[in-house]
Amino acid sequence: MVALVTGGGKGLGLVIAEHLLSNGATVVVVDRDRDALDALPTSVFGKCLDVTQPEEARTVVASVVKEHGRIDVLVNNAGVIYNEPLVNIMKPEGIMHDYGRFREAVTVNLDSVFIMTCAVVEQMVLLRTKGVIVNISSISACGNEGQTAYAAAKAGVNAMTVTWSKELGRCGIRCNAVAPGFIGTESTHQALSVDSIKHILQNTPLGRLGKAQEVAQAVATVIENEFINGVILDVNGGLVI
Amino acid sequence: MDKRLALILSEVFRLKEKEINIALTKADVGSWDSLKQMDLVLTLEREYNILLTIPDILRMVSVAGIVDVLREKGVALED
Repeated sequence: MVALVTGGGKGLGLVIAEHLLSNGATVVVVDRDRDALDALPTSVFGKCLDVTQPEEARTVVASVVKEHGRIDVLVNNAGVIYNEPLVNIMKPEGIMHDYGRFREAVTVNLDSVFIMTCAVVEQMVLLRTKGVIVNISSISACGNEGQTAYAAAKAGVNAMTVTWSKELGRCGIRCNAVAPGFIGTESTHQALSVDSIKHILQNTPLGRLGKAQEVAQAVATVIENEFINGVILDVNGGLVI
Repeated sequence: MDKRLALILSEVFRLKEKEINIALTKADVGSWDSLKQMDLVLTLEREYNILLTIPDILRMVSVAGIVDVLREKGVALED
């Protein structure tokens, strides 16, 4: 099995890549962070790619197919958490959400999933690969205050997941998403205040943050089970926001 | 510290009333973000029947600042 993991140079993406590797997959990671790629374990193949660039994505995906024969699994993990409320009355230069930043957040978190899936599914269809697309969504997809752009992008990811599961099933290609809640990663601690994390813990039935490994296990599950298609799998300890 | 204001602030910021004092600032309260500031403004406007402007709101980043703005709006507060 050849798996391509976007944004896999570090953080959650790297944990997913290593988990798939331990399950016996050949793993190729794409990331725009060259330093992170240089630090990858030698058993993981790394390629530099900005997943918001369609032509670059097609070229890199074609090179992966040339080198490894095919791509069986695409994990669309690349993305950036972005927090900005619709109205910020503490910002006198303009109290409303910046449109440029809205577009940036949607491009990174939604367009990238479309771009990479197009590039990889094209190869899957041409090579008759019965592959799997796994999109990393978020608990924020159901709407989370302070995250207009991020929530909208992740809701879009969920909608594309279900749409593709219906369209691509006829080709034997499945599409699922994994929607993590709050995971104890560096990016979570950077994005949230101590008080916010305390509030999350109080409202999570399991009373703790998730582990990146638990998200990776969920990704492996929706890959391995060949009858799971069109599912948004929550990995959130029972938290409802 | 005015008791009514202390109660309002404790409810907005989910703090205990005894934690509210005149020296408290935005930097001291982890939950005091821009969304909470909106809650604060709407609550104060409703409770005291006043209208706060953006310059007022920008000054309200400490309990002392809030007290100053409210007094300027004619709100009678205990010391």
